[in-house]
Amino acid sequence: MTESNRLLIVDDNEDILSTFYEFFNSMGYEVKTAVDGFAALKLLRDKSNFFDCLITDLVMPNISGVGLISIVKKEYPHLKIIAMTGYGDQPGALASEAKADVVLFKPIDLFKIENTVSELINQEKEIQ
Amino acid sequence: MSTPLIGVSKSILKIKELINHVANTCLNVLITGETGVGKEVVAQNLYAESARNTQNFVKINCAALPETLLESELYGYEKGAFTGAHKKRPGKFQTADKGVLFLDEIGDMPMALQSKMLHVLQSGEFSPLGSDHEFKTDVWVIAATNHNLEKSIAQKTFREDLFYRLNIIKIEIPPLRERKEDIPSLIEYYFRLYSSEYPNNNGSKPGSDILEKLCNYPWPGNVRQLQNCIKKQMILNSWEKILEELPKDQIQIPVAPQFETSYQSQQHGINNAFPTDRTSIISQFVDLSTSSDKLFEDISLKKIKKLASDRVEKEVIAFVLEKVGWNRSRAAKILKISYKTLLYKMDEFEVSPPR
Ligand SMILES: Nc1ncnc2c1ncn2[C@@H]1O[C@H](COP(=O)(O)OP(=O)(O)OP(=O)(O)O)[C@@H](O)[C@H]1O
Ligand SMILES: [Mg+2]
Repeated sequence: MTESNRLLIVDDNEDILSTFYEFFNSMGYEVKTAVDGFAALKLLRDKSNFFDCLITDLVMPNISGVGLISIVKKEYPHLKIIAMTGYGDQPGALASEAKADVVLFKPIDLFKIENTVSELINQEKEIQ
Repeated sequence: MSTPLIGVSKSILKIKELINHVANTCLNVLITGETGVGKEVVAQNLYAESARNTQNFVKINCAALPETLLESELYGYEKGAFTGAHKKRPGKFQTADKGVLFLDEIGDMPMALQSKMLHVLQSGEFSPLGSDHEFKTDVWVIAATNHNLEKSIAQKTFREDLFYRLNIIKIEIPPLRERKEDIPSLIEYYFRLYSSEYPNNNGSKPGSDILEKLCNYPWPGNVRQLQNCIKKQMILNSWEKILEELPKDQIQIPVAPQFETSYQSQQHGINNAFPTDRTSIISQFVDLSTSSDKLFEDISLKKIKKLASDRVEKEVIAFVLEKVGWNRSRAAKILKISYKTLLYKMDEFEVSPPR
């Protein structure tokens, strides 16, 4: 058995969070969730090498997704990041600027995002 | 020396923790909250905890200066850039280099300057007025406002793209009336501070009765108003008097009955028959006690429409939320708005579940 991939999912919408949690869990991922950028950052700083991929919403209170991405890319460069937004172009553009690996626009097909996640993680594993 | 962030409430503790986690990221920060809640204190604390604290903390108030002056203060100018520019002068962006630039009252920045600011933040470069040279900037931008910028964006007085660029880290400071627990420690701190500044004062700390009353006052001017009371008390030495003099009932004019009256008068076909009715409705949205020049400037149908619909929206949102036991996803569905929009609106209208 290979170790399961570890995901951190961040969204301030509880419904989205639980949908993603259930889905990725059932696909064999080990999933942790956070309700905003600050909660996510605390989790990351606590377990810096734990996660393989971060999926984050962009517009959130305290630390926004864009802020989280900037911090993570600087402090944990190996971590793959998928940004998702339902707010038009501006946050998405800022997320690209902050070097998110992939930016997706809501609504997002879960199977599609799972594909993206596994591609990103495999890329990283091939490099290593 | 900067002011410590005093407080024991959950929200203040969380803000302190947040400051601690982001002070060295140099990411743009937007601090929001009513007047006197401590936006500048938070900005200073961010600076003090960052590695930039040996460099300059430069503040500029975007509401206090006319547009052209604000522009030249921000970016500086070359000799001869305009009449009166006898010699070259550096702007705040330059003085703040490697340090912090605190853009206070950013919500009041004129639109034209917002565009320029956006450009500077995007490119990381600026040029002084009358210069064709572009300078690289290395400033940590912390902005503050007591406006609700989402509202300003809807009213087209604030650029949405600038908002997103500033709002990378958002620190919202709740009004003092929503964190009453902080009042005793603030009184303690400022009582001590002022006592040492004025050793011959007549002040005394409030007893428990008075303290309770102070904690239950809504403090529209927040910490600044509380500070003023403590100072005044040091001279008067009567907390009773201070309490008596606190402005009352300027908060919340009851809404429902007035709406009812106007509704009823229409029902009876005596539309517009009572001018007092009319003024009482209008006075909920504009200050009618000012001179008519000022009044005519303040009255704008667009603005009033927004204020009036906000009032009603707020009530409807609270009504639905109560009906569904504060299940926000359900309420959003019923109201036929997105979940995010509901959260925004709850935030904007300060609708929160009973504690
Ligand atoms: N948590 C706090 N601890 C200690 N002092 C505070 C705190 N909050 C506010 N103050 C004090 O209250 C006064 C008003 O605070 P400040 O100037 O930071 O408010 P502000 O939000 O910037 O207000 P405005 O919108 O009017 O500019 C200052 O003297 C500040 O030192
Ligand atoms: Mg201020």
